[in-house]
Amino acid sequence: MKALTFSLLALPDERLDLSCLTPAALAGLTDVQIAKLRIGTSRNPALVGDVFRITGKDVNNIVFEGGSSRFDKVGAGLSAGSVRVMGDVGNQAGRRLSGGTLYVDGSAGTHAGSGMINGRLEIKGNAGDYLGGPLAGEITGMEGGLLIVRGKAADYAGDRLRRGTIAIFKGCGDYAGYRMIAGTIVITGRTGAMAGYLMKRGSLLLDRPPENLSPTFMPCGEPDIAFSRLFDRFLMDEKIMDKPLLGPKPGRYGGDTAVSGKGEVLFRQQHR
Amino acid sequence: MSVAWIGSQPVPLTDAIRNAAKLLASCRCPVFTLDTDVHGTRSTIALATMLGGACDHAKGQVLANEVALFTNHGGMFTTPGEARRRSSLIILVGEIPPLHHDLLQAWAASQPDLGDKHSRRWFHIASDETSSSHGKLLRQLKAKPLRGEGLSLEATLALLRARLQGRPALSSLSNIDSFEKALATAQFPVFVFSGSSVETAGLVMLQGLIADLNRKGRTSSVFLPADDDAWGSALASLWMTGFPLRTGFINSLPSYDPVQWDVQRMIDAKEADLHVWVSGRSGQIPPKGEKIALISLSRTEVPTAGAAVTIAVGQAGVDHDGVAYSSRIGTFRAVQAVTPSHLPSVSKVIGQLAGALPGRREFAC
Repeated sequence: MKALTFSLLALPDERLDLSCLTPAALAGLTDVQIAKLRIGTSRNPALVGDVFRITGKDVNNIVFEGGSSRFDKVGAGLSAGSVRVMGDVGNQAGRRLSGGTLYVDGSAGTHAGSGMINGRLEIKGNAGDYLGGPLAGEITGMEGGLLIVRGKAADYAGDRLRRGTIAIFKGCGDYAGYRMIAGTIVITGRTGAMAGYLMKRGSLLLDRPPENLSPTFMPCGEPDIAFSRLFDRFLMDEKIMDKPLLGPKPGRYGGDTAVSGKGEVLFRQQHR
Repeated sequence: MSVAWIGSQPVPLTDAIRNAAKLLASCRCPVFTLDTDVHGTRSTIALATMLGGACDHAKGQVLANEVALFTNHGGMFTTPGEARRRSSLIILVGEIPPLHHDLLQAWAASQPDLGDKHSRRWFHIASDETSSSHGKLLRQLKAKPLRGEGLSLEATLALLRARLQGRPALSSLSNIDSFEKALATAQFPVFVFSGSSVETAGLVMLQGLIADLNRKGRTSSVFLPADDDAWGSALASLWMTGFPLRTGFINSLPSYDPVQWDVQRMIDAKEADLHVWVSGRSGQIPPKGEKIALISLSRTEVPTAGAAVTIAVGQAGVDHDGVAYSSRIGTFRAVQAVTPSHLPSVSKVIGQLAGALPGRREFAC
């Protein structure tokens, strides 16, 4: 059966809330019913049929042909199946994603993967601020799953990460791992200032020594630990990376001592 | 003297209201930037609710930074009056905006009459850079700096927090021994900060530090907003909608999102098609170069450049009576007109605009 495909007719004038276009929400609906779903956020909100041409039948496999930075909440609440966007998405892509796969062929706005619980979100381009982070008033950020950004992430990546793994491939802005509670963030490329600020526990794994860490991160030498090899293998098995990230004896900083100091920054030694 | 213009032509107020109402009725996504007193804020929010628009403050970015401390973390706060009467140890965090310098100097000239009643000591948590106006205030207060070489304010706060918990850190702070001694003897140390001087992350670190200190004694903080009117508008929005500013109204229901409802971003991204600028403050004009229709409610004697409609409005406390937030008392106060004028208030003009809209809709203000 051909994937249920939403082909973009023209760039929307308004921001769209696409949280209603997931396999669970669309199950049992006819094309006519889908076309009448409201997705606009202005005074005269657009309907699905105003913005997209709908083809295909398989609701467990949804494709958006064409994207826009005005596509908010794509794949929000996705619990099974797959959603693929052939272009950019706006804010809160994969919000509260609890299963299945969301693949974004372009870049994402702020709060991508916010509050993710499980599943896989992959962004081929860049991601905005607060990758995986909580919205205003929420206690925790991402709580599980796998979030991969093949490009750069902006500031506050992994804010209040509680569980799960975030991988960023072309560096990130300031405050990566801000207020981390647990979980793992993998970063290759340059990391901005104050990585791990207010980090309670969890691991920040880097492919190079960190720059501009808070003075409340203490160097802990080069521990010979099994974790780095184990995690390198996980990254390659999951096809997240094609070569080891940390190597056998990574450098380590412990912190943030301003909080509990139980977090760690592990990094690949440059001479290896 | 004229108080209303269509384009650059002076017109009677009723004509300008009718023209502005037409624009409001026909637009797809109106956005409101406000900088006014409580009544003006309430009217603007009520109009935005009717029209399904979005509201933001003219100093939206600084306000969002201040609000983020409350929405994302929380903290321990006291009033300026309590700090003045009880605290013998005041710690300034970063640069305090000049509008609050008088308040701090008044504290310096007095002595606490409750609690430990010692003469007041001052410290200042600082980054490497301090502006000259703030330097002058610090000299007047005889504030001892707590700073580390080459450290940002956020790093300094982290270092101080680690040090006060006896945890290791890679650097040290000037005057830290003297500060620890002062902290041990003071019964009610108070940290004073503003949202414009520290990033939200630093404010969160500061509130964590205060929470740590409260395990052994009593410590609190005084929040001095970067702009009193902006904070007053945030509070007025909070009691009307349940959310602070940067709130939009989809289907007349409020939704708070500091990214989505950043009005300047919406204008730049051409998501909005009508900008309503509401400012009772003299000299405040909308940013230039906007490429969407503009309705300007400003305290002005000339039409606003680029505006389809301009209506002159008065300022609360100058042209008419009003209610405004005062950080000195930590709540709202009535302000009387200093030089009453013929200029209408923002709330009166917005009420007329709502009345001129086609169809009978509820104006909840």
